[in-house]
Amino acid sequence: MRIISFLIASVLLLTACTKDSIPTPVDTRRFDVAVTGNITTVRNLPADTIIGFNAIGQPVGTGRYSFFSLERGQWVPNSDSNTNRWDLAFAGTVIRVNNLTSGPGSGGAFVYSGTFESLASVPADSVFRLDNHPVSYAIPRGSGRAWYTYDGPTNLLTTIPGRVLVIRTATGKFAKLEMLNYYRGGQTPSASAPDSIKYGDQRFLHFRYTFQSNGTARFE
Amino acid sequence: MRSYWLWIVFLIVSAPVAAQKDSLLQLEEVVVSATRQERRLGNVAIPVQLIQRKQIQQAGSMRLRDILQEQAGLQLVNGFGAGLQMQGLSPEHTLILIDGQPLVGRTSGVLDINRISVSGIKRIEIVKGPSSSLYGSEAMAGIINLITDNSVRNKGELSLRYGVADPNRHFGIPFGASSLQHTEVDGRASFQLGKWTIKQSNNYLYADAVSYRPMSQDRIARPINRFTHQTIVQTSIGTKMDLRWLARVNQDRFQQQFSVSNNGSITTSFGRELNTEWNIQPTLTYRVTPQLTLSSKAYWTNYTGDQQLRFSDRSDSLYQDQFAQRLARIENQAEIKRARHAVVLGFGLQAEQAHSTRYDAYDSKKENSVRYGFAQWEIKLNEKWISTIGARFDHHRLYAAALTPKWAIRYQPNTRLVVKASVGQGFKAPDFRQLFLNFTNTAAGGYSVIGSVDAIRVINNLEQQGLIADRKPDYSKLSLLRPEFSTGYNAEIHYRFSASVETKFSLFRNDINSLIDVRQVATRIDGTQLFSYLNVNKAFTQGVEFGFQWQVRSRWMISSGYQYLETGDKEERRRIGDQQEYIRDASGASRLMKISEYVGLPNRSKHQAQLKISYEKTPEQFINLRLLYRSRWTVANSNGNSSYDRSDEFASGFLLLNMSAGFSLTSFLHVQTGIENLLNYKDLFYQPTLQPRTVFVQLRCMLWSQKIKTDSSL
Repeated sequence: MRIISFLIASVLLLTACTKDSIPTPVDTRRFDVAVTGNITTVRNLPADTIIGFNAIGQPVGTGRYSFFSLERGQWVPNSDSNTNRWDLAFAGTVIRVNNLTSGPGSGGAFVYSGTFESLASVPADSVFRLDNHPVSYAIPRGSGRAWYTYDGPTNLLTTIPGRVLVIRTATGKFAKLEMLNYYRGGQTPSASAPDSIKYGDQRFLHFRYTFQSNGTARFE
Repeated sequence: MRSYWLWIVFLIVSAPVAAQKDSLLQLEEVVVSATRQERRLGNVAIPVQLIQRKQIQQAGSMRLRDILQEQAGLQLVNGFGAGLQMQGLSPEHTLILIDGQPLVGRTSGVLDINRISVSGIKRIEIVKGPSSSLYGSEAMAGIINLITDNSVRNKGELSLRYGVADPNRHFGIPFGASSLQHTEVDGRASFQLGKWTIKQSNNYLYADAVSYRPMSQDRIARPINRFTHQTIVQTSIGTKMDLRWLARVNQDRFQQQFSVSNNGSITTSFGRELNTEWNIQPTLTYRVTPQLTLSSKAYWTNYTGDQQLRFSDRSDSLYQDQFAQRLARIENQAEIKRARHAVVLGFGLQAEQAHSTRYDAYDSKKENSVRYGFAQWEIKLNEKWISTIGARFDHHRLYAAALTPKWAIRYQPNTRLVVKASVGQGFKAPDFRQLFLNFTNTAAGGYSVIGSVDAIRVINNLEQQGLIADRKPDYSKLSLLRPEFSTGYNAEIHYRFSASVETKFSLFRNDINSLIDVRQVATRIDGTQLFSYLNVNKAFTQGVEFGFQWQVRSRWMISSGYQYLETGDKEERRRIGDQQEYIRDASGASRLMKISEYVGLPNRSKHQAQLKISYEKTPEQFINLRLLYRSRWTVANSNGNSSYDRSDEFASGFLLLNMSAGFSLTSFLHVQTGIENLLNYKDLFYQPTLQPRTVFVQLRCMLWSQKIKTDSSL
């Protein structure tokens, strides 16, 4: 097992947060990647973490995406956003693929119901969806639609078990990806946790994926 | 006339007898709920549980919630007040009646039993299992029937209760800064004015209720004022007719104020809630012959709820939620009693209407009417066997009609053993909320719930404006809601080992079809979800109930109850069986879910138990210890799949210990004192309204008591 740690440039802090209800801002971005066989597991990938609240009390981040290359298992700097170097871009619950309104690549995605292991290959009749930012995305947003459910009363987001995101990368290769968790440390806070934790620890993505480097549709 | 007065005399005479010897069987007690006519419990095939006045008095509480909480097999569930869960069915499936007529004013299907005072209530009858064959809609899990006092006695009684608790200390101090206090004044009087009997009872409760702001541990002051007024007037016309008039008014007033700190600014909001309920119930009874009794009953009830919320810094921020419900019914009934047969026949008309700010407009009146008829025939086959068969037909203006039959049998081979079995259908008609709700919550991600009557029209309108992103598969299932139906099976064995040891063992199973559930039917282009109500679910509940009672010596008694409960959604179980349901293992990876990981419907505890140890010299001089246990229950489906399983969020199980003691200062002045929640169990998040350890003192004064001279008709 090989572990690579990435240290990511500190994020510009917009506001000086004072009260306890405001989460501690992330000043450095750090996430872990572990590779076991053909499965790469990414932990604590910050995806536009919350740095404050807007005038009507909604949590906001900087609005910048975290770009990621599945092929290299690496974070991609924002300056490369208009290239084929990235496959997925993450910001909160939005996941964008590199195509059309999102980038110059030939990316695409769809949601498969079943376990990660049970998906041996991309079915021949698969239809890959594309982004139409900001109206719709290849991986749909909204509770219960693609990979997460959101519960308003508890203000918690949970990844749905048994959902696999089938990805076509920027260069037209295939990957299967399972979202594991949305919170720092990989543990969803309990319903009784204070809002400072629920806001402060969210948008830290955990996922695992298998990338098929030889361009075939089989994951082995 | 004679038989009627005999019954009353029998009641008066039997009361002290019952006080000396409480039995699980209580064969000599008179009940009305099982058959809609006064019957000795020993002659009834349908199981009825009784809570007598003495038991209510010794618990030292005037609230129905506190009384029912101590009954095995009844669980209280939080949310929209205290709801009652019977045989594992939700609060909307239990009918709560006063002298056989239903109380209205439910929020999200829950009738808050905190609001009901038991002042002026003589006894509480509980029938578990479907009772729609006599009581119609909502009597799916069973009924709770509050029977008002109809004794003839000149009596005046005043009681005063004061209690104090402190969430920050071991015990509360009267008038302390953080003390939670409550004061309850209760007065009851009956007078005899010529041929008229007037019975009056009034109850007033003030409580510094304990409540916590959702999602935080800040306690908010929530003073509650509750007022109940009940008047009964009864007289006889000639020798064969009785006229009785029951009027009841109930009012609850809550206030609350809480502050939320958001981004450094503190917003204070004020809320107030005012709920008013009244009901009137005139009854005319005509005993045509000793075998035939006719009665006519009218019933009007009205419930209004009004909630307001306002932020202190914005005068225009008023949020108002209003609800009004009115029900009127006329019911006629004939009872025929022969040596071996008893027949009850009845029919009625009911009109119901509701207004709500949560419907399309407060001014638009929602109406429904029902015509119904019922019949029940009880036959005593021989000394050992009694069989009861009955059915009711409800014809609703708004939806399909319902026919609900029931059959019960009772077998008593000797004085030690009684066996009862019954099978029956229950139903619940869709309520106004499920038909007409039009509610949008802009907070919390945004969602709308639209009642089934308007759902298709509303979504089509939005579609024409280009506002619908997609329709869910459930959209195609939208249609006129049908009533929910259930079939219930109950069996019960009573066995008396000796004069002092008795046990009761029962089994139940309910199969519910076409259960109404809220489902997402469409999504707006801004991501807002649109929900509506559909007949989708099939569910079951089943369990075992066990009761035990041991009169240790003449004054000591140990009694205990236990319920084991299993529930499930049949569709969820099918999905798990078909390998369509997933769960995450410890590493976070998804795998298929096993049926053994499934826990059933939310909010249900598998185990519930109750133990009572009591010493009693007289009904006024006693000491008792009551232990209540409820095992953990699921509160949220927190792991992203669509069924409740072992890795979801649970509220932990808990133990409550209550004790009370009573003694007499003089023959007319009685004192009661006790501690509730002695172990000081707290769960701020899932049981925010559970009172911390509370010490109370109650003074009860008999102002006058005089038996009425029995008249010539005896």
